[in-house]
Amino acid sequence: MPDSAPQEPLLVAKDVTRIFGSAYALKDATITLRRHEICGLLGANGAGKSTLSRIICGHLPPSSGEILFKGAPLAIGSARDALRSGIALVAQETSLAPDMSVLENIFLPSYAMPGRLSFFQLRQQAKDILSELGHDHVLPLDMEVRRLSAAQRQLVEIAKALALNAELVIFDEPTASLSPTEVDRLFDIMTRLKDSGKALAFVSHRLEEVFAITDRVTILREGRTVAESLPTMDLTQADIIRHMVGRDIGNVYRKATTTAAASERPVALEVTNLSAPPAVRDVSFSVRKGEILGLGGLVGAGRSESAEAIFGLRHRSGGRVVIGGKELPPHSPIAAIRAGLGMVAEDRRAQNIVPDMNVGENLFLAQLGKHKGFGRGQSARRKQADELVARLGLPADRMDASLLHFSGGMQQKVIIARWLLVEPEVLILDEPTKGVDIGTRQAIYELLREVADRGIAVVIISSDFEELLGVCERVVVISDGYTIADLPASQLSEESLTLLAAPRSSAERNLAFLRDLVATHGGSAFWGLIDGDQFVSLAVAEGKDDARLGLESGHVYPLQETPIPNALAQLKPAAVEEKDGRSTLLARLSNRRGHELGWVGLSMPSGKKLPDPEALSARIASLFETTRDEEIDA
Amino acid sequence: MSSSNRSLAMPKFASTLEFRMLGLAVVLAVILSFISPHFFTERNLFNILDQSVVLGIVAVGMTLVILTGGIDLSVGSVAGLTGIVLALMLKEFPIPVAIVIAVSCGALIGLFSGVLIAVFGLAPFVVTLGVMAMGRSLSYIVSGQRSISGLPMGLQDIVYTTVLGIPTNVIFLLALYVATWAWLTYSKGGRTIYAVGSNIEAARAAGLNTLFYSIFPYVASGALAATAMTFSLAQIMSADPIGGNQLELDAIAAVVIGGASLYGGRGSIFGTLMGVLIMVMIRNGLNLLGVSPFWQGTAIGAIIILALLAERLITWKSRRL
Repeated sequence: MPDSAPQEPLLVAKDVTRIFGSAYALKDATITLRRHEICGLLGANGAGKSTLSRIICGHLPPSSGEILFKGAPLAIGSARDALRSGIALVAQETSLAPDMSVLENIFLPSYAMPGRLSFFQLRQQAKDILSELGHDHVLPLDMEVRRLSAAQRQLVEIAKALALNAELVIFDEPTASLSPTEVDRLFDIMTRLKDSGKALAFVSHRLEEVFAITDRVTILREGRTVAESLPTMDLTQADIIRHMVGRDIGNVYRKATTTAAASERPVALEVTNLSAPPAVRDVSFSVRKGEILGLGGLVGAGRSESAEAIFGLRHRSGGRVVIGGKELPPHSPIAAIRAGLGMVAEDRRAQNIVPDMNVGENLFLAQLGKHKGFGRGQSARRKQADELVARLGLPADRMDASLLHFSGGMQQKVIIARWLLVEPEVLILDEPTKGVDIGTRQAIYELLREVADRGIAVVIISSDFEELLGVCERVVVISDGYTIADLPASQLSEESLTLLAAPRSSAERNLAFLRDLVATHGGSAFWGLIDGDQFVSLAVAEGKDDARLGLESGHVYPLQETPIPNALAQLKPAAVEEKDGRSTLLARLSNRRGHELGWVGLSMPSGKKLPDPEALSARIASLFETTRDEEIDA
Repeated sequence: MSSSNRSLAMPKFASTLEFRMLGLAVVLAVILSFISPHFFTERNLFNILDQSVVLGIVAVGMTLVILTGGIDLSVGSVAGLTGIVLALMLKEFPIPVAIVIAVSCGALIGLFSGVLIAVFGLAPFVVTLGVMAMGRSLSYIVSGQRSISGLPMGLQDIVYTTVLGIPTNVIFLLALYVATWAWLTYSKGGRTIYAVGSNIEAARAAGLNTLFYSIFPYVASGALAATAMTFSLAQIMSADPIGGNQLELDAIAAVVIGGASLYGGRGSIFGTLMGVLIMVMIRNGLNLLGVSPFWQGTAIGAIIILALLAERLITWKSRRL
């Protein structure tokens, strides 16, 4: 273990203070970063993590304090000096030049370095870096960055830091818009950087990730360091949260207490066969009044695009969207708003906030659009607005301050409140807690619960499966632009959700494998996940002339209600016989990290013989003999 | 990828805006040569290049400024003022010295605007509007409200000397475009101009010298306005205080026709060259057809708007795919 041998720190930031106006963003904050170590930098929103990161990287000069790099004071407040010393930042608000190509963005800092430019060499280097990230095929080097999705931009940001070959890299919430597979890859790379002797800092709100990747953590609260370089191994989630917020937090999620009557409530929004190629192909779901529905899936699966197509922001080429019995016309957000649809888009800065307007004006923006008439129509809503502001804990006296002065969580609350003011029937929220600290997150969940209790249908899009399962009553899974499952949250776990959300290409491969099995051996083959006492059926191939097995893909069954309870209970790599004489052979599927991908089974009605278990295992193993880049982390 | 990819590898020309503007220029030339028998003659083609020199040189500086997200409204009056300065200096100094003084004068005015914009954070539109008014006013004062003639005959040499049959002013224009293209495409400085215009915060965070590259385009623009005026003086052999009037509008139009975004970060020097040629060809063609000069403004305005409208419709269509 690297921490067993204490060594000279690579960078020490001591008593760093930064004042914005009259407010302290940082007050005597301290952090130590060592080689061969990943240090988590944690804290609630507004605790000063980003400010401290930016000061270390020279983007901001500190008001006072000292930064020692390799024991010598670092010239502060100069991004160029920091870069030349070997300090790189993977920024949170992506700092890319939108009109320039991916390649140029990756090597932007090299324009300030001495020496000749060789675009040929840079291109080779970029290819190497991107293939390390496993994304050479989705990030064309000549593509302008403005055309990339948020996740792809994040990858460019990461590639940019890697290209610098820096000795110290600060990752400021690099995983915010990445899918689990991409996070895995990033962690592989971070581990490799650590092993090669670099010092890394990792800023994140996701505690699971902090536990997965960091060696130590430093925790900030209100601009001060409250815990410095604690070994991650000795900490629990509760410890960290206690440090971050200074108090205990109970269960973050509060679910609806009554879901029994849910199926009788009227449908508020119904989407059928929605298509908006290329991202959205065939999406159907409905949400009832007072229900919280989750739209799950990986980044890029078409969730946000579906929401945009429903709202009228994206061209809809097919399908129907019905709200309260009325069909919405395509591409008309104002018609959607008047029909009672509200949408909180994903990119807070670009899509939601009008930065030149103050809090009050931002709050009334949707009202301005819905209101018919010459005036602003605010007086009628003033009382409601005051109530909302009070409940959200927004300072009522700062309604005329710029929204940009507030933290991300606070901004999100204002934007949710904006839509609540127009009293929607349906509220769609795209990643409502992205970049929001855990305390504020809880407040947002409670707010959404309350909204739902008032009879509004809430649709939450999230990449955070834990959040989806915790907050939503029902989850619709979208993968590659298709809805592939629609299940109550109580029947899902994070693993099964991950599995259902896996790109369709892997499902197709597995289904082809099942068909192949049935073709050679007869019987019925299935692929599914066993979760506690439930079986999530992901794909089924039935034989032609044999008695049908009776499992359907996309469904969840209690183990005892499947036709093969004995086999699923025993999970033996051998044939297991049921009461009716049916025999089943099961084999475990797992990816290269040993992460379980479920079970593949072959089942025969009584009187038919199963193949040798060894043969089945060998065939499954051959399923994963793919090159690294092709492998899908299903 | 429907739009330009103007940077590193040779761009896929067929899909770029610049290519479409080249197409427009060719179509325009074909139409004009059908309407007027005088258009497609060697003499007239040289005429067009000759007439492109002044606008072409100014448009290079304007391209740099617009790429950083700025605008320079002062080029016309800077050209007028430096023209007067050149005429006066020619009476005192040898030709090369006088030219250097006039061009330095233009560069200094550009430095003045650039510093106000980049260091003090004033809006480019307002700063250069102010400089435009001052420049024109000063050129009347310095000239004594008269045009200055009787310039040394040697000045004509910079226009009428030919190399392989090509006049030197045309050679200078083409060399300037090639050099600027190479600089913008392959040098760190040139790419920094794009980065500054595209996202100055990103450029700053990458350690680029944003201050220098925010000021430099204005200096270049001022110096090039004076250079353009030098060629103009050599042709008409007199300096008028109203010289270079409305040159800024033609230059901005040429850059915008060439596909640059007024928000910065997008555009190319090849596009600007096409913009210049399109503007000059329309003027030239209308002259050949005997259209009244008063109608030319309407024709040019209509073509600018139509070209941009067509471009917008094309990109809309490709975005809907």
